[in-house]
Amino acid sequence: MHIYIYDSFVNQKKYDATAARIETRITDLGLNGKIVRLGMMNSVDEVIENEMKKGAKTIIVVGNNTIFNKAVNAIARTTQEITLTRRIPLGFIPVGKSDNDIAGFFGMGFEEDACNTISARRIQRLDLGLANDYYFLTEATIPTNGTDIEVDQNYSIQIQEAGNIKVINFATTTKLPKNFSSSAVDQVLDLYIEKKGSGLFSRKPNEASQSIIPFKFITILNKTKPVIIDKSIQINTPVNIQIAKQKIDLIIGKGINF
Amino acid sequence: MFSKDNKKVELKDAETIIGPSIRVKGNFHGEGDIVIEGKVEGSIKTNNFLLVGEKAKIVAEVEAGNAQIGGDITGNLQIKGYLEITSSAKIIGDIECSEISIEKGAIINGKCTMIKNQTNSHKSKLEEEEEK
Repeated sequence: MHIYIYDSFVNQKKYDATAARIETRITDLGLNGKIVRLGMMNSVDEVIENEMKKGAKTIIVVGNNTIFNKAVNAIARTTQEITLTRRIPLGFIPVGKSDNDIAGFFGMGFEEDACNTISARRIQRLDLGLANDYYFLTEATIPTNGTDIEVDQNYSIQIQEAGNIKVINFATTTKLPKNFSSSAVDQVLDLYIEKKGSGLFSRKPNEASQSIIPFKFITILNKTKPVIIDKSIQINTPVNIQIAKQKIDLIIGKGINF
Repeated sequence: MFSKDNKKVELKDAETIIGPSIRVKGNFHGEGDIVIEGKVEGSIKTNNFLLVGEKAKIVAEVEAGNAQIGGDITGNLQIKGYLEITSSAKIIGDIECSEISIEKGAIINGKCTMIKNQTNSHKSKLEEEEEK
């Protein structure tokens, strides 16, 4: 059975028409299932855990980056807890343009278009990063200012200029050097450090100011700034990051290759 | 992880890049080709190619398969294959390698020992790839 989980903000009146269009499209495509609307009394973790135990065939979340990341975490955690052997894919129907860019990186489309993606059911098994107890699919980021990094318990890294640190499982907006590409299917994370552009109009780093280090385990320390995963969840340091044993089966759009 | 499209070693093709704003302290051991443009203190080890850029400052014991050195190194170098030292290089330490070229202008203070070739040289590696 398909389980549709609506984020609480989708229950607002201004999204009524959008939700109705999505539900009509779902019906047209023959993808009907159970709809669960999140509110004060239930959380995405509880709902996903319960539905997975009951035998859900597909979990589909409706909302933005935040519910998407929470669903990734809930599926990975529940799969581990109940040692589930069958695969339960995650689908995503983004609603609204605000805080909702992850769907674009996986070619899922928005609102009704995302229903078509779910209907096509292109499933890709992807690696996950693990930042303390939180799973992430794309990147973990933190500014370089005040940040120290220990890599594989062998060496430490200090960054002497302002910029950004990214731990990349699947690169989203990061402009990687030529001939480099990121893969979320190779069981390796990369540490990527970029210096802010130095010119008056230059905000993008050039290749000469970029650092790339593959690793197995890192610890990030920063007294004031948190690590942000999947552009949504903040985690206070110290943060230990490694590749997770769990993976996620994600329904992706066409034209996205790994 | 990042993948590379071709094998010819240039800055953009390395598996690990330490940029100019980075300072590394400790035992920096990589598995693929390494490019260093920043500062390293401790030790550096790779079985593959090591490129030390003009602005790099290294205080470390260095071990690599093949290497091109253009920056400052204080410490001993142990290169299994071919070592290319360019004019901007300044090396204070002993060198051990099986093939070497030194460009005019490079500064070397230390003992240089030529050892029996343990791995394919840089040239033969490139030749092998061209044959493929």
